[in-house]
Amino acid sequence: MSTQENTDYIKPLPVIQPHSQAFWDATQNGKFLIQHCIDCDSNIFYPRRDCPECWSNKLDWIEASGKGEVYSFSITYEGVEEKFVADLPIVLAWVDLPEGPRVNTNIINCDPEDVFIGMQVEVVYVKATDEITIPYFQPVKR
Amino acid sequence: MSIAIIGIAEVPTLRDPERTRWDILLDVCMAAVRDAGIDKDDVHAVISPNPMAQPDMANDMALGKVPEVLGMKGCRDIAIANAGGTSNTNCLRLAKSLIDGGQADFVLIPHTTVQSDIPPADLINFFATAPLDKQWEYPYGVTFNGSMGLITNRYMHETGATAEQMAAVTVSLRAWGALDPNSIFYSKPVTLEQVLDSRVVSTPLHAKECNLLADGGGAMLVTSAEIAKEFDKAVYELGHGTRFMSATPFMRKDLFHRKAYREGSADALKQAGLSIHDMDVRQIYGAYPYTQCSALEGYGVCEEGQGAALWADGRCGPGGDLPCTTMGDATGRGHTGSGVSMAFYLETVRQLRGEAGERQVENCEHALLTTSGGSVMNACTTIFGRSPK
Repeated sequence: MSTQENTDYIKPLPVIQPHSQAFWDATQNGKFLIQHCIDCDSNIFYPRRDCPECWSNKLDWIEASGKGEVYSFSITYEGVEEKFVADLPIVLAWVDLPEGPRVNTNIINCDPEDVFIGMQVEVVYVKATDEITIPYFQPVKR
Repeated sequence: MSIAIIGIAEVPTLRDPERTRWDILLDVCMAAVRDAGIDKDDVHAVISPNPMAQPDMANDMALGKVPEVLGMKGCRDIAIANAGGTSNTNCLRLAKSLIDGGQADFVLIPHTTVQSDIPPADLINFFATAPLDKQWEYPYGVTFNGSMGLITNRYMHETGATAEQMAAVTVSLRAWGALDPNSIFYSKPVTLEQVLDSRVVSTPLHAKECNLLADGGGAMLVTSAEIAKEFDKAVYELGHGTRFMSATPFMRKDLFHRKAYREGSADALKQAGLSIHDMDVRQIYGAYPYTQCSALEGYGVCEEGQGAALWADGRCGPGGDLPCTTMGDATGRGHTGSGVSMAFYLETVRQLRGEAGERQVENCEHALLTTSGGSVMNACTTIFGRSPK
């Protein structure tokens, strides 16, 4: 897994919550974490303070494989805020992780026209600031 | 206990910054009270949908300016409801609660929205941030159109619906809108080629399959089913059922809302003592074309995956045997923020009164109406009829 540098980051940064801080700490080290409920064994994404299945507060973290499959995508050509315009077209995507959860992301490092439902993808990290590294997905390299 | 709508009013959907929020509001309030034929001082409560992206107007409406400015001396209380596109549904539910509880006989529900005087960049920001998760969606450039593009793409993948079939939904919606003097697209139908040749905004959605933000307003005057019997033009609520799905689309198990449409409509139809096949018109507020297809699949009008074909065969548009969404939805009428669902309720009343002009469905006795809010977080289905239960 690689981390790409991105100076002069102007896009909105994720608004981090106390219970999601560990996720964003891990992305800086190239790890994609999923919450795991010790009481009911659920894998949870996005991170919560309490398990949404059983309301237990005994939540742990597991490291995801970083692999996934495109469940759906939409190539956005217009209608975004000015701070996203330089990135157009943006491939919005929902990726299913083998661990269970579905995540919202962008598919990067490929021609948008090549993306398809069922495409095998892997996580790739883009360092936005010294504190925040954002996970995206890219096609699995053969 | 049940309620009925005895007065309606609406102004045409336009983009006209000269027409102010308060002008629209005063016009629709007075016209709805006059349409009902009651005295202004008989209005016991004013319950308003929150005017989205208009904070000054929201404060005015939330803090009681409407009955004060209009001198409604009998007003006992006010309230405001914000549930995005289902704000008006919540207004009706609040009205029912006051009426059933004996706090009010007549409740006025007015809506106003002006978006044409808001800078486009501010509107894009509002619609990009209001419904989106600031941690898991917004940093990735998700927009309303993008979210709905993601769902539509998966819908087409699973059902095999073609781009032409999906575009046919917009052609039919615009055909309804072309017959509606209150639509921004009055006398402006589109062809399949015009939809497919319009710019691609967020695949698979073309510009004409997305929403044009516009100004508008409308009002309803609501009373009890019992009192309504003295009013010739009354339209009665016969049943109501609702399901919540999720705030965030990527968390949604019921991605096309079929289960929510099915279970909510089943609850509503059971209360009404009617079947989906008794409905003379189906009004579906989803704001994006795939909802017009998946709703029919959820209600049980057709098999799963066959909704788009019904639209493509022209069965849901003007002259079809399964008329749906006769006010054109936001796609065929213009998106007035929290006002689209108001326009849906008003159109349903017109159809049941026989006042829908060129859009009139023959012998319209029963109507089903589903509204949704946020990024289609819920599906709220109401059955209306020309006669009480």
